[in-house]
Amino acid sequence: MNVTRREILAGSAALAGTSAAGLPRPAIAANEPIRIGWLTTLTGPGSAPGIGFNRGVEFAAGAINAAGGVKGRMIEVVTRDTQGDPTKCVNATQELISQQKVHAIWGPTNSGESLAVTAIMARAKMPNIHPCVVDTLIDPAKFPNAFRIAPSNGQWDEAARKYCLNVLKAKKVAVFGDTTGYGVTAANACAAGFKQEGAEAVVVANIDATQPDMTPDMLRARNAGAEAIVLWTVSTGMIARLLNTRAAMGWDVPFTGHPALASGDVAGLITKPANWEKVYAVGYRSCSFDATGALPPRSQELVDRLAGKVNLSDSLLWWVACGVDAVNLVARAVEATGETSSAAIIGHWNALDPYPGYFGDYRFTKERHNGYPEDGIVMSAANTAKSGSFALAPGYG
Amino acid sequence: MDPAPLADAGVLDAGSGALPARGARPSHLRALIPFLALLALAVVLPLTDNDYYALIATRAAIYWVLISGLNLIVGFAGQLAIGYVALFALGAYTASVLAAGTVLPPAPVVLALAGGTAMGAASGVIVGLPALRLRTFYFAMTTLGFATIVTQVALGWQSVTGGGVGVAGPSLPAPFDTAWGLYYLCLGIAVLCTWMTANIARSRFGRALVATREAEVAAEAAGISKPALLVSVFLFAGAVAGLAGGLFASLQTYITPDAFTFDLSLLFFIAVLIGGRGSILGPLLGTIILTMLPEVAAPLAAWSTFVYAILVLVIVLAIPGGIAALLDFRSRRPLPRDRAILPHLGALGELLNADRAPVALALRGVALGFGGVRAIDGLDLDVSSGQVHGLIGPNGSGKTTTLNVISGYYAPQEGTLTAGAATLPSRMPSSRARHGIARTFQTPRIIGEATVLQNVMVGGTTIGQASFAEALLSLPRQLRDERRIEATARLALDAVGLGALADVRADRLQHSELRFVEIARALMLRPAFLLLDEPAAGLSPDEIKRLGALIRAISRRGVGVLLVEHHADLIFEICDEVTVLNLGRVLAHGTPAEIRAHKEVVSAYLGA
Amino acid sequence: MLASIVASGLAMGAVYALIGITYNTMFATSRVMSFTAGMLGMLGGVLGSLFMLRWGLPILVSLPLTLLACALVGVVTEFVAVRPVLKSLDQHLYVLSTLAVALMIQQVTAIEWSTEPRPFPSLLPMGSGMWDEKYWLPVIACAVTVAGLEYLYRRTLVGRAFLAVAEDNFAAKALGLPERNLRVASYAMAGAIGALAGFSGGQLLLAFFANGPLLNFYGFIPVALGGLGNNRGAVIGGLALGLFQQAANFTFGGIFASVAVFVLFIAVLLAAPQGLFGTATARRV
Repeated sequence: MNVTRREILAGSAALAGTSAAGLPRPAIAANEPIRIGWLTTLTGPGSAPGIGFNRGVEFAAGAINAAGGVKGRMIEVVTRDTQGDPTKCVNATQELISQQKVHAIWGPTNSGESLAVTAIMARAKMPNIHPCVVDTLIDPAKFPNAFRIAPSNGQWDEAARKYCLNVLKAKKVAVFGDTTGYGVTAANACAAGFKQEGAEAVVVANIDATQPDMTPDMLRARNAGAEAIVLWTVSTGMIARLLNTRAAMGWDVPFTGHPALASGDVAGLITKPANWEKVYAVGYRSCSFDATGALPPRSQELVDRLAGKVNLSDSLLWWVACGVDAVNLVARAVEATGETSSAAIIGHWNALDPYPGYFGDYRFTKERHNGYPEDGIVMSAANTAKSGSFALAPGYG
Repeated sequence: MDPAPLADAGVLDAGSGALPARGARPSHLRALIPFLALLALAVVLPLTDNDYYALIATRAAIYWVLISGLNLIVGFAGQLAIGYVALFALGAYTASVLAAGTVLPPAPVVLALAGGTAMGAASGVIVGLPALRLRTFYFAMTTLGFATIVTQVALGWQSVTGGGVGVAGPSLPAPFDTAWGLYYLCLGIAVLCTWMTANIARSRFGRALVATREAEVAAEAAGISKPALLVSVFLFAGAVAGLAGGLFASLQTYITPDAFTFDLSLLFFIAVLIGGRGSILGPLLGTIILTMLPEVAAPLAAWSTFVYAILVLVIVLAIPGGIAALLDFRSRRPLPRDRAILPHLGALGELLNADRAPVALALRGVALGFGGVRAIDGLDLDVSSGQVHGLIGPNGSGKTTTLNVISGYYAPQEGTLTAGAATLPSRMPSSRARHGIARTFQTPRIIGEATVLQNVMVGGTTIGQASFAEALLSLPRQLRDERRIEATARLALDAVGLGALADVRADRLQHSELRFVEIARALMLRPAFLLLDEPAAGLSPDEIKRLGALIRAISRRGVGVLLVEHHADLIFEICDEVTVLNLGRVLAHGTPAEIRAHKEVVSAYLGA
Repeated sequence: MLASIVASGLAMGAVYALIGITYNTMFATSRVMSFTAGMLGMLGGVLGSLFMLRWGLPILVSLPLTLLACALVGVVTEFVAVRPVLKSLDQHLYVLSTLAVALMIQQVTAIEWSTEPRPFPSLLPMGSGMWDEKYWLPVIACAVTVAGLEYLYRRTLVGRAFLAVAEDNFAAKALGLPERNLRVASYAMAGAIGALAGFSGGQLLLAFFANGPLLNFYGFIPVALGGLGNNRGAVIGGLALGLFQQAANFTFGGIFASVAVFVLFIAVLLAAPQGLFGTATARRV
């Protein structure tokens, strides 16, 4: 459990869109730091997003503290590396709540863990922001304390599906997932979505990500007449194998699906760069550049601020931006209410409609805790990474 | 039938006088102290009023519920079940699915947990089945494979298990719906499991488990049926694993397949290893240490598997006995150096009553070959009650093979084998005890880490009548069994002259003493026939003399003894008849005097 | 389609068979089944990638280096995890000691190399489609290994000494054969064979730390099917497994394919515990 405590001084002016106004704060908490629990996977398989988020978290906390903190109160991030293990995550969550007495928790960053700790955090009324995609994680009635600042699985799914139907004009698709919990669920949901819109998922399969040869699965897809392949996995090895198989078969079917399709690791694993053409990964408007190579202005501002401090070349801009937003959301709630009580923080978030973050304009109300805007999700061309952002896929104006 | 001449020879202690003084018996209370101390700590823990402590302690209690059962399999029976997380997952899923009502109508939580327990028990047997037929490494691999399959099925069977999204764990009713309420529930179940496994460990079943691990052939000769025994244990261990899984699901509030990692499986397995085989306190401490380790050794998170691996290696190479061995201070006290084995005829008389109907063990035309070699070739042999029958011959003449055919390790290819009116089935060594056939081995098959008394008590496994379930709950019949087996074992030890060493670890004894321990173990059956395989090997002349007198005294109590031996003097001194084997055939048969005069025997064997 | 299943099935089968032979080679001289067999295969891929891609060494240097490094791992395994527990073979402590070494190898690879799969370079850019080198390289490697072992065992003095030790190591010791050195040599040889499996299958398996347990399991199945210590059995079992697995992948898909493989494995083991080509167990008393 890496305990990362940072007490760096900074001014609240560094906060994006911060208002100077605030309620008079209770004297007792005047100099007590704002403690943010941060649950993520920093080591082991699947740690790339966690490392990316963490860069944003450290940057944001550092920037706020360097500017003097929030009304004189420093941000203290208490980091716990859960290694993707729900059991470790449950232990760490309880420890953050009971031992560390944090004021809010950001994370965990993987759905399997989040499912296991959501009820625990709800019981403790712990303000919680997370980026986990499983739809059922957000339910303002059952979990009034939990807010999502990234798209849900349904939103990703919808973006990929719409792209297949409207831009690629594919009516028959093959849906693949890996054999992890995420892959199985996502593939099934995706297939159901296509069916609902009158299209057909001609093959729905879960492939063991370690399976050395993907030819049988690709052959099945081709034989069934698939016009596009939708892929839900975080395994870069599996992605690369599928792309290489596609090339070896001399098949030019387009791929769409999970953001990992655009991961830098894929570049090393494909046998030739051309194999990565016609691959469209879920991406974000805020982290995509247009035909002229320009990012949206707010994102550009962040990239400029990060320059020289945070390495974006081996990470993704959206991970970093999301990490920055998470810390800012907590800091802003404390600044606006002058309190660190659960009720104050949650109450503040419930009224953010919208909150202009770097990653997107979040909209939260008492009834809506799934804050990421639908129109913020786009498809990007997988092989166009440049400092963690991507070119919009063909078909976006 | 008169022991007096032997006693006169000063070899045996024939008197009915005082038996050799025994060491103080280990106080059961003293063994309980560490458990009570842990329990006291556990009971006052809620005073901290820290939910985090409640969580970790509840987790440790739940893990221990599983490990207490696994301990019987790994620590006692020595079966390398590495993938026990599979049963844990099955219990968790069954309980959750029943409570959630995705298959059947939602069940009350108690029923759901019972369902998880039943599922664990059934799967425990299925996972265990390969262990009855396969060798260790194979079994380790199959349990690993099974663990993989269970998570795969949990993923694939989405309509029931929720696939990757998982399913909510059963939520317990008041008063168990708070952190400390659940803690007390799990603690109570953990205490119950500790008590039950301790009952098993102290029973004939526990000793039999250790015997199948350390001395499998001796266990079979004592009438222990490994399949029946293991199935009972797999059933129990599976049940507690399933129950632990259900409780785990409640504690986690939500389960997904990725909660059931290989690391968790390793934790279960290593807790037993660290604790030490054949102990209960050790694995309990191991469980507590391993549950807390990741919480206190936080910077090691990334290296946790590596740390586990190092632990395993260190334990295997440096302290194979684990924590239990480190805590075993008693076994470091020196034993008296000038001790002697003094068989005690009074005790023997008490143990074996002479008045039983004579029977005969008969081999007719028995033949057995290995590859092209005829190890025994048409052998006729009779062993009668009250007689010592010597079986001699050069190396490779078929003596031990004959013993092994009689004890059922080998199936004869031709010929018949009868004891009294009954025909002995081939290849069923564990059936021999019921026919009153007991034996010893060329190399003593002893459980080194068990006491001498426990070793001898293994021989009395078939005396017991209480079932596994009765032993689990320590019911009256079980307690009666124990008292009787222990009394018989002390008597047998006194008879062979080792009463003073009853409570010493067997691996601290000398080789010659182990031979007498084996005889005591064989006597536990109050056998009709006793097969001795070179009992005098490695004994001093004095000890051989006492051994001869003991064997003769045993036979005079109505036991038919078949003695395979190289010491010609001993054979000729105590045997009533002698058979000489050569190349698997009977070379000569007769009284010792006749054999001594037999020309071919003298030239082929004795003359050498 | 059938051709494609056959090509990839034979290729994977050859890798599994080589791992099976790795198990057998270690078993022959020590009576120990070692969990390091699959790890050696994994290291073959990782080291090959390290030498060729990260350090830019040519294949003619990288291959011998990889084999040598894994041979060394084999020898270390013998010293650390096998030799100390040989005297109490019947307690099966080797299962634990070799598991520990295997886990250490895996964890160090995960941390020092990567937890993501890394590319393995193309060795001899030739062949395409079904005739891509990644399909036939493992088969060639397997054939060469089997032929080499046959030659070693049947035609050379050292090889016969190996066989003598495998047959009866007490008798071999009594004959004055350097039983201990032969054992170390067999562990080195097993290391090299495992490395060759990973190296030749590198393009299929990629340089990935999690290949270890996978190869451990799928490499063990040919041994269980073919009979312990029987290399020919391992080759037949391995190729059969590879074909069955690929066919199952094609017909059932990922999750149920692995269930099918496991069920078949258990069924065969329960029906024929000695394997399909194995011999009966030794005397117990």
